[in-house]
This record gives sequence, structure tokens and C-alpha cells, in this order.
Amino acid sequence: MKHVKGLMGTALAVAMLGIGAAQAADVSWMGYSYAEESAKPSVDKIIAGFTSKTGKTVEPIASAFGDLQKNLLLRVRSHTQPDVVQISERWLPSFASLPGLVDYNTVFGADNLAKIYAPEALAMGQVDGKQLALPLMSGSIGMVANNAVLQQAGITEMPKTTDEFKKDLIAIRDKVPNSVPYAMATKNNSDILVDFQTWEYAFGADIIDANGKVVVDSDASKKALGFLVDLMKERLIAPEIGRPDARRLVGQSAAAFYLDAPQSRTFLRSFSGKGKDFDVNIKPMQVPVANAGQEPTSIQWAHLIIAFQQSNPPTKDDANMQFVAWLGDDAVETQFPVEQSALPGTISARANPIVADDAYLSAWAKNNTNPKRNEVGIWSNSGELTDILAEEVQAALLGQKSADDAITSMGARMKESMIKAGHAQ
Amino acid sequence: MSSDTAGPVPTRIEDYPVSRHARRGGLQAVQRRIGLLMLAPAAIAFAVVILYPFGQALALSLFEDTLQSITPTFIGLRNFEQVLTDPEVWGSFGTTVIYVGCSTLGTLVLGLGWALLLNQKFRGRGVIRALTLMPWVVPSTVSAFIWAWIFNSRFGLINGLLLELHLIQVPQAWLSTPEGAMLAVILTRVWRSIPLFMAFFLAGLQNVDTEQLDAARVDGAGNFAILRDHVLPHLRPVLIVVVVLGVIGGLQDFDTIYALTGGGPVRATAVLSVEVYRKAFEQWDVGMASAIGVLWVATLLPPAFFYLRLLVRR
Repeated sequence: MKHVKGLMGTALAVAMLGIGAAQAADVSWMGYSYAEESAKPSVDKIIAGFTSKTGKTVEPIASAFGDLQKNLLLRVRSHTQPDVVQISERWLPSFASLPGLVDYNTVFGADNLAKIYAPEALAMGQVDGKQLALPLMSGSIGMVANNAVLQQAGITEMPKTTDEFKKDLIAIRDKVPNSVPYAMATKNNSDILVDFQTWEYAFGADIIDANGKVVVDSDASKKALGFLVDLMKERLIAPEIGRPDARRLVGQSAAAFYLDAPQSRTFLRSFSGKGKDFDVNIKPMQVPVANAGQEPTSIQWAHLIIAFQQSNPPTKDDANMQFVAWLGDDAVETQFPVEQSALPGTISARANPIVADDAYLSAWAKNNTNPKRNEVGIWSNSGELTDILAEEVQAALLGQKSADDAITSMGARMKESMIKAGHAQ
Repeated sequence: MSSDTAGPVPTRIEDYPVSRHARRGGLQAVQRRIGLLMLAPAAIAFAVVILYPFGQALALSLFEDTLQSITPTFIGLRNFEQVLTDPEVWGSFGTTVIYVGCSTLGTLVLGLGWALLLNQKFRGRGVIRALTLMPWVVPSTVSAFIWAWIFNSRFGLINGLLLELHLIQVPQAWLSTPEGAMLAVILTRVWRSIPLFMAFFLAGLQNVDTEQLDAARVDGAGNFAILRDHVLPHLRPVLIVVVVLGVIGGLQDFDTIYALTGGGPVRATAVLSVEVYRKAFEQWDVGMASAIGVLWVATLLPPAFFYLRLLVRR
């Protein structure tokens, strides 16, 4: 009996400890930056700063970028959602209907937020008049060149049009052995989506208009995909390349161009093995356009912060709201985005010399003046739309279909998907 | 006790007095009850870990349930109707048949050949037998990454070898053609499964009567004739078991394929398991994914039933 009592006591103590551990943190923060080796120390600094300022603790929950949507939605379904979540701006519309999501206007006031955050960054977090997300950092997805490779191929000026771009790619192919001149994403559906969309804009085409009407089946789209198919035939792009592969290739000077967010600098520093010494080779540039004089377009990009209410209604005193406010503080905004090579979301941090005098960030902003919203990622059926688009692009690139047939099929399949999701065509 | 107090001797067996223990069925019943008691933990675990989730998946297949919709809507059999009229799902069925058929056949032939080789007596046989188990020990995702590097278009072993031998002029993107990708996933599966098949065959070969084989050789039978007329008939029960296990394993496979090709290029290696994952976690359609999952289980049931029947008969 004595032993049984002892065992029960031990079990109870272990259970209490378990419960204590589970409730130890005041805020749980799920994000993909914590899953990236290069960004993890920066996230730790944010958390340490918050704890030292407020005495409250934060439990970071790492989730790979590609898995975060799935992990969050599964947690919400099992009522184990984290208090604060770092998301990509393109996911916000699909998260907008989640129960318990905080409208920051009701906590901090719309006027106050407008004074703190840059207007275009703040706008990325708005859905149906509600401020469901706040920007942690922002920017665009644009083109980056490796200057060392360009020099090796004798290229002195950045290409402005698609014709010039192709000519340069041929020069790189011929003069830089074993290189992939343009490391376009040709695998991983979400990577293909971003790259193809960029070229759609470069040729003046659109995929889905603002009203949800599928408009991809156009001559301009066929020209865009035809251009990419031609690059593949000429061995100027290569199959089996995803965004991480592209970063590695460019970082190792085995590719000259690729598309990425401004964080590119951080990745390339890491993958080159040269750290900041590699900065001289990283050149943000305008995405080439089909016709001279056409305005180059990039794709909007941001890391946003959403939160689930800790009390009903949520107040500024809630631990997670205090943490969200801390993320907008200059101490964080002049540290984390800069370390990640991106623009901060707040007005004061952008004006800070640490940010304003960063030549790379200035060059990025100068070359990407016209970012457009991701036309596919914002719809509730974006997963299916992305799969359709990537499958058709891949089929054309790998020679299974002509570019024209792939675009026609893409249009028909996307229309069907949009109708199924309740968007009239 | 004397015979006087015992009363009249019963004439029918049913009239004999019986103990409470005997009235409850005797030793056989006790054994049955103990058997059920022993079975209970496994049955409870099965119910919790397999039966309940399956029941839930079955129920979900009758709902329109996207991950964003917190309240699913009952739609009856509409998901199944959609699945059965969806050419993509039928394509996945076809891909699954090719994958399972080719990988099982390939493993069967190579596993048997390897077992016959390792059944011969030679120095270092024990070491090679132990090393052969390596692919089976290595986690499936790791195997997939190893093969992804072997087939890699830029740094892959195959391209390196072929370029060195001047058999190709430029590196080939093996995983970017439907045939190449399918071949790669099949090869990976075969590589991983050979040790298990070999172990079964090797065990079966230990019981082959060597005197019978020697007699056949004296009668002039060649190696192939011995294999066909003596070894294979002896291995027949083992063959059936490994084929059934191979088919079940192939139908269940997901991690190797997803890590190696992600179901691509386009949809070239999108077997049923990958299709379920895509529907659930890329397209957020849990209802449809459950419906495909239920049909996937239905394809698993016949070989599983056949296998269990074989086991029970033995």
C-alpha cells in the first residue's frame, strides 16, 4: 500500500510538473523565422527583449514556411491555436475567417496604428475593413543578380527587356561552364506560382482579376509561358530547381539571376559561405519587361503578425497584445527586419539611419516600385489554384504540352475551381 | 461420507450435480474468458488508434469540410461521386497500380536472386547478409534523399558516371520526365524492400531438401530447371506471402514518393497516398481527402484479407 501511495504521489507530481510546463509561457508565438537557422538568433533576441521589458515569457513554436498554414489550421481545429502567429501576407485572406482572430483596430485603435505603421504595409493586413494583421517586415518579390557571374560573362549592364535578358542568359550559358543562367523555380508548386506570376506581369498578363474572374487564357499569357519554354529549350533555365536550390546556386555563383524576397541578401551571405563579404555581388534589379518603356512589376511580400484573443474582448493588457505591440517597437523593427534584409513595417524604423542608410534596402526599394498583390494566393481555394497553375507550367516546360495548350487548360481548370469555391465566372 | 447419504444415483448425465465453476462453462469457458481478457488491451489499442480514426475519416468523407470551414456541412455521398468522376483520381489509381505492380515484381525478382546468391556458401557471407539489411534499417525519407541525390540533374551520381563515360553530353534531368521519376520511385522502393523479401526467401531456402537438388543435378537438370522445378515450388507459400506483403506495403507508401518527387513532375508519381495528402494539406479539402482515403483503404482490403486468410489457415 505504501508503494502504491508512493507511486501515485510520483505520478501526481509528474502530472503537475507537466501542466506547469505547459502553462509556463505567457505567450506562444508560432512562426517560420524560428525554423530558419539564419533567423533563429534574431527571434531569440526579440523574445529576450520582451521578457526583459515586461517580465513575461514567450514560447517560440517553429514551423517550416511550407508547413505553417497546415499546422496553424490543424491547431485551430483542435482548439490549440498559438497566441501570436507570423504569417505570409498571401495567406491572410484564407485565415480571415478563423474564430478568435483579433481585429487590432478594436485593441489599439485604427488612428494609432496609422501613426505607427507605413500605410502600404498596414494595408496588407486589412480584410473587409478589419485590421487582422500587422506588418513585421515588408517588401516585394523581385529579381536579384549575382554580379560576379555577370562579370565572368562580360555583362556590364542589367537587362531591361526580355530580349536583353535572354541575350545575357545565352552569354552566361556559353561563358560560365556548368551554370544555370537563370535559376527559375521549376519545382515546388508555390515557388512556381511566384515565378510564373512575375513573368505574367512582365508580359502584361494577369491570372485572376480583382473580382475573382480567371483571365489567364490570353495571348499575353501564352507569350509569357512560351518565353519560359524557350528558355528551357535553350538550357537557360533548368528543371528540378526550387527556391532553396536557387538560393544555393546563386550563393555559390553557379547561377546569375533568380527571384526572391529582399531577405535574399541574408540567404546569399549564408550560402556563399562568405558572409557580408558577398554583399558586393548581390544586385537587386528590375524584372525585365516584354516591351521597352513598360513599367516593371514585382509581387507584394510581407511577414505579418496575427493573434488569437486571450480574453474576450481582447485588451492592450493581454500578454499577447503586449507582445504584438513589442513587435512594432523600434527596438525590434530596427533589429529583426534589418538582420533579415527587409524593410521594417513601422514609419519610425524606416526613418532610422540603420534602415535609411542601408544601400541594399535602398536599391531594392528603387528597383521594385510597383509591387502587385499575389493574384492567386489570396483566394480561399488558393491551394488548388496553385497546384493547377504549377502543373500546367511544368507540363509546358517539360515538353508534355505546348505553351498555348497549357494556358488554355490552366484557364479552364482554374475557372472550374473558382466556380466550385463560389466565385462566379 | 457414506453411500447412505449420497442419495439415488442419477441415470442421465444432465442430472449429475455440477459445481458453480462447471455451470459457467468449465475449463474451456475460463480459457475463453482469459483469452478475451488477454486480447482486450490489443483490441482497445486497435479501437483507439485505428478503428476510431478510420470511423472519423469515414464520417468526414460524407461532409464538405475544408480546413477553413470550422463547421463541416453534410453532403452525403457527393464527395464519392466527385471522386469517381474525377479523371485526376482515376489517374492516381492507374499510377498506384503501375507503382505497386512494378515495385513488387522488381523486389520479388531481385530479392529472390539475392537470396539464392546469399544461400551459397562463401567467405564473408554473414557480413554481406548483415549489410544487405542496411536499406531496410535506413529511414524511408533518408533513402528517398539518397536516391534524389543519385538522380540529381546537376550533382547526381548517375549523370556524373554517364558524363565520365561520354555516354551523354549534357546532364539529364531524370526526375523531370514522367518515366524517369516513376523509375526513380520504383527503384527506391525496390532498394528498400529487397532485404525484407530476401530474409523471407532465405528462410524458405533453408528448408529446401539439398539431397533432392543433388539428385536432380545427377539426372542432368541445369540451374534454371532446378530453380523452376524444385526451388520455386518449394518457395510457393513464401512467394504468396511476400507478394501480398509487397502489395500492401506499396499501397501504403507515401514518404518515399513525397520526399523524392512530391508526386511530380506534373502528376507522374501522384499515387493515392500522395493524392490524399495533396487534397488535405495543399488544397485544404478534408472531405474529399477522406473520400479518397476510404477508397484507398478499400483497395488495401482484398490483399490484407487474403494475407490474413493465409495466416489463419496455417
